[in-house]
Amino acid sequence: MTAPRATFQEALDSLEATLQEESQLVLRSLRGAMSALREQDVELADEVIAFDDEVDARYLALEQGIESLLARQTPVAVDLRLVLAILHINLHLERMADLCVTISKLMKLARGYEGDPQVLESFEEMGLRAEEMVGVAMTALAERDLAAAESLLELDELIDRANRRLVRHVLEVGGDEPKREWGLRMIVISRCLERFGDHTVDIGEQVAYLVTGELREFSDASHDATD
Amino acid sequence: MRRAPDMESAPAAPVRIAGVDEKVLAEREERVARHRREVLFDVDGLHVSYGEVPALKDVSLEIYRNFVTAFIGPSGCGKSTFIRCFNRMNDLIPSAAVEGTIRYHGADLYGQDVDPVEVRKRIGMVFQKPNPFPKSIYDNVAFGPRVLGRKDDLDGRVERALQQAALWDEVKHRLKASALSLSGGQQQRLCIARCLAVEPDVILMDEPASALDPIATTRIEDLMQELKRSYAIVIVTHNMQQAARVADMTAFFSVDVAEEGERTGILVEFDRTDKIFTQPSDQRTEDYVTGRFG
Repeated sequence: MTAPRATFQEALDSLEATLQEESQLVLRSLRGAMSALREQDVELADEVIAFDDEVDARYLALEQGIESLLARQTPVAVDLRLVLAILHINLHLERMADLCVTISKLMKLARGYEGDPQVLESFEEMGLRAEEMVGVAMTALAERDLAAAESLLELDELIDRANRRLVRHVLEVGGDEPKREWGLRMIVISRCLERFGDHTVDIGEQVAYLVTGELREFSDASHDATD
Repeated sequence: MRRAPDMESAPAAPVRIAGVDEKVLAEREERVARHRREVLFDVDGLHVSYGEVPALKDVSLEIYRNFVTAFIGPSGCGKSTFIRCFNRMNDLIPSAAVEGTIRYHGADLYGQDVDPVEVRKRIGMVFQKPNPFPKSIYDNVAFGPRVLGRKDDLDGRVERALQQAALWDEVKHRLKASALSLSGGQQQRLCIARCLAVEPDVILMDEPASALDPIATTRIEDLMQELKRSYAIVIVTHNMQQAARVADMTAFFSVDVAEEGERTGILVEFDRTDKIFTQPSDQRTEDYVTGRFG
């Protein structure tokens, strides 16, 4: 005979696998958005925008799967925490993919300026950090690794700093009105990447909840003067 | 999925980085195949009455192969009466009258030329209280095949039935022991094995776990998931959560109270189980599954 409640366990495993799959799609979206930004590739930017449907499909599948699982299987204890964590992480991933779409749209709107090397360098750094953070967050989930989840807060500090540097730089560049509009768009792109990092920290908090059963924020944003 | 309005104007082009996953497509195909329904019973306008008293009126639904179908509803809603129609158990009650049709593999189950005994070979039944014969474990399972004259490879038949009922490992060293020496949960699985030994294609279960503790209940529920690969399972249960856990399709029955106070069972809603438990179409179903029933 198979393990007890095999059907339920299969459903749980399948939800978690779909979530991991969704995170892989988010990574593809992020890489696409950053590459489009770097290469000024409008076609690729459009693909990133269209690709969001793939992420949304996973998002909806998870929402429906969780609804059915909660209604039918009455998960409790660690199973309940896992289902709730998946529910929250699902929303974060969907938002992260939306940020990639926003970056792609802003890139299209801000075209026509020769690349500012310092801005490009900042985006490169933030993009790589964001990518790493998704990896850390989702591996922490897969391995139920509390320390890895908590390490996201420090990683996030680095992306925050890069964001602040970029904002200072764009303000210093100044310039005429079209240039200022360009600068504004760059700041919003930077902000998107910074928010992307924040979402991975939130995923880390969900992992911590899953592992410890304790719901807590890694940092209190309302008391964080640097944000 | 909500975006700032000024972001909406940028056009989208076909996807190059995406491409639909072959694996995802294959999984979708498989899901569709799994849900292709083969009708085993087709019930149409069924009425059941005991003497002058109607018990169940105007029930129409289908039972599918490889599905677990659950009947839920409050006491007196006729769900047990209904399940007994499928193997013509109501024939044993002299005052019972069944109208309407039940087609089994397309043939009228209540047709003139149908032998109820033959029906019960194909359509096995398990009851609320485990009811093994006061004989050995082996003889309980061998009983059906012996009566039917299927005496070749009797040991093999008994072993296969006990394996399928997930009881073999627990009893293989004491097949000659009395069935009554088994625990309640084991006795119930023995009754299921007894059913399986005559190679039916439907198993009816009337409250099969309500006399069992939670662990024995889980074993019976897991067993249903195994068995549905080969059989159609129909289960009556008071325990809504059990229906939610095990059933693919759920029928909700209720009691219709006439002005004169006459109470008759009716079928309120029949749908996929996840539909019944997430967004039932009928308010009466919603009230029942959310525990707000009178």
